[in-house]
Amino acid sequence: MNDALDVALRLLVVFAVFLVLPLVIGQTEHKVMAHMQGRLGPMYAGGFHGWAQLVADGVKFAQKEDVVPAGADRRIFQLAPAVALLPYLLVLVAIPIGPGEGAVGEVVDAGLFFVLAVMGVGVLGSLMAGWASANKFSLLGGLRTAAQLLAYELPMLLTAASVAMAAGTVSLPGIVEAFEWWWLPWQIVGALVFFVAGLAELQRPPFDMPVADSEIIFGAYTEYTGLRFALFLLAEYAGIVVLCGLTTVLFLGGWHGPWGADGLGWVWTLLKTAILAFLVIWLRVSYPRLREDQLQKLAWTTLVPLALAQIALTGIVKVAIQ
Amino acid sequence: MPPIPGSGLAKGLAVTLRTMTRKTVTAQYPDVQPELPPRTRGVIGLFEENCTVCMLCARECPDWCIYIDSHKETVPAAAPGGRERSRNVLDRFAIDFALCMYCGICIEVCPFDALFWSPEFEYAETDIHELTHERDRLREWMWTVPAPPALDASAEEPKEIAAARKAAEKLATQQQTEAEAPKAEAPKAEAPKAEAPKAEAPKAEAPEAEAPKAEARKAEAPKTEPGEGKQ
Amino acid sequence: MTLAAAAPQGFLSPTGVEVAFVLVGLVTFAAAIVTVTTKQLVHAALWLVVALGGLAAEYLLLTAEFVAWVQVLIYVGSVVVLLLFGLMLTKAPIGRSPDADSGNRWAALTVAVAAAATLVWVVVDAFRTQWIDLDAPQGTTSVTGAMLFQHWVLPFEALSVLLLAALVGAIVLSRKSEEPSDERVRDAKAHARDDAEAAADKEQR
Repeated sequence: MNDALDVALRLLVVFAVFLVLPLVIGQTEHKVMAHMQGRLGPMYAGGFHGWAQLVADGVKFAQKEDVVPAGADRRIFQLAPAVALLPYLLVLVAIPIGPGEGAVGEVVDAGLFFVLAVMGVGVLGSLMAGWASANKFSLLGGLRTAAQLLAYELPMLLTAASVAMAAGTVSLPGIVEAFEWWWLPWQIVGALVFFVAGLAELQRPPFDMPVADSEIIFGAYTEYTGLRFALFLLAEYAGIVVLCGLTTVLFLGGWHGPWGADGLGWVWTLLKTAILAFLVIWLRVSYPRLREDQLQKLAWTTLVPLALAQIALTGIVKVAIQ
Repeated sequence: MPPIPGSGLAKGLAVTLRTMTRKTVTAQYPDVQPELPPRTRGVIGLFEENCTVCMLCARECPDWCIYIDSHKETVPAAAPGGRERSRNVLDRFAIDFALCMYCGICIEVCPFDALFWSPEFEYAETDIHELTHERDRLREWMWTVPAPPALDASAEEPKEIAAARKAAEKLATQQQTEAEAPKAEAPKAEAPKAEAPKAEAPKAEAPEAEAPKAEARKAEAPKTEPGEGKQ
Repeated sequence: MTLAAAAPQGFLSPTGVEVAFVLVGLVTFAAAIVTVTTKQLVHAALWLVVALGGLAAEYLLLTAEFVAWVQVLIYVGSVVVLLLFGLMLTKAPIGRSPDADSGNRWAALTVAVAAAATLVWVVVDAFRTQWIDLDAPQGTTSVTGAMLFQHWVLPFEALSVLLLAALVGAIVLSRKSEEPSDERVRDAKAHARDDAEAAADKEQR
């Protein structure tokens, strides 16, 4: 009974994090983006500097009519948002935020593979949405999503493999346990490649070709309204949380900090995640969108070779150390 | 020297970060009133005491948005044996701001200074018919017309003040000559003296115009303008 | 593998894991059948996701965690995405495609049954009535890695070379000046990517 309670409690906490953190990041994006453009952003909802803007947005989305286009493949169309969103919830379960059993939803033996595998599944949601909408813009968005996933999954996996080689384990808590500060310069190329590839997989600007609003409206999500649309947006922001958390765990040493206070490891993890999330927003504001061919070129001619070089470096250093 | 690869990317990031630390330019309009320039064209006010129903404004209006009705009245002769005069009396003066294009021609063309620009702009209506402001509403806008801006330091003296000053100086010289004359006429000289400060009045108002505050405007408008109207 | 064959285990009082195994197996089987019989092409691809996911679940139930996640990563995350990508390039309609049936139904069925029979026979012949105790995890990453690189190094490397050959072949095909046909080039490229990923994945171990 105690075990069941423990599991329930952990899942509840993970679910709460899953609901709250994406909204926090979304709100931060509203405000940071506004100030970076010399604006104020939302100011009214909730009273103090529009802190409740996303809550208000959620209420608005919930009130909207849920429209399914006449020509659409109804069931797949309706299923797609769930397929897009759920994987991120699952991934969040496996990300450790502090040392010990207590700070992770569920210890997964091959955690690294679990996380990358499940994140890849999330893209299926976009593909289903793109195909089932019976809309040419959606279809184009789906095609671009698929092409982007195929291109960027490889460097992401390779750099993750580099970290796994360095740590000698594929368990996420194990990787953080093994972390030393000098891994930072050692794995810096891998970290950059991983982060960039992750951004591309989330279709965040400047890699947002699949949802390029000036060309294909909103890509695969064009036909969606109301709550289902909100779920897709939530999936994007949950994806940011997952990507930043994962980069923190793999490359930035998770709960290790320069003046590590015992028991405060989770603060370090959250802090690093928050800084990375800020970086995601910052990149969105600063850079224009990459063209489709530039996107593919970046992945295949820059990121993949860099990732392979990182693996080679990791291997050499690893052998030299032993 | 060729630029360092990636320096452009770094510059982009720097620009956005710098902007973030600066003050925003957002105008929080309903909460904070905008700082309008002095000659803002918000709404047109009618100073109907000055209007002679010459119809110039209505005729020049490119949009035909000014409606004027009037009738003639005869004024009995001022002096016995004189001729009766007739004058126009304004019955209706309306501007349809749904048609108005804010060109300001009516204000320019008015020979008697009966129309003025006011910076007020918050008169949106839910019914288009209510955008036709009738005479009383146009008269109300007059209270919001700012005082004219102060003259340039080296500018020529305004005509009114110059005339008043000349009159005052004339009086002063007259008084001096009279003072040299027997003092029995002193009480007579007192009366013109009393008028002198009145003539100076416009001068005193000038500094006030330099800082045109809404409050000052409102207080000032009724005091000065009706006086002018009687002249 | 540690085999605890000492105590003969009965089949009449199945544990929860065994029941789950059979149920997931049935779902996987049904999904696989729908995949090959449905007339809606994209639905077939999505049912394939269910079938492959079911397989991953079976691996999980057998405590082969690593294999399960790799299954999801490679097949669901990449191969199906590739399939859908290919389908989106075609004129596959929403709804039924009248010409989705190839007419080789019986030949395909024969091949499928033969392949299944072979596999089942191999498994039955290899293990007979041995009982593998799952309480001690049998398929963790370290165990799988040790097995792969101690006992099965040669086949592993042979497979890698095969995939590399496919990769090179695909590049050669797609570089030809007289283009074969668009579809073949695309297929070749698709396979190349697929193989590259599979190879990369293998390298990680």
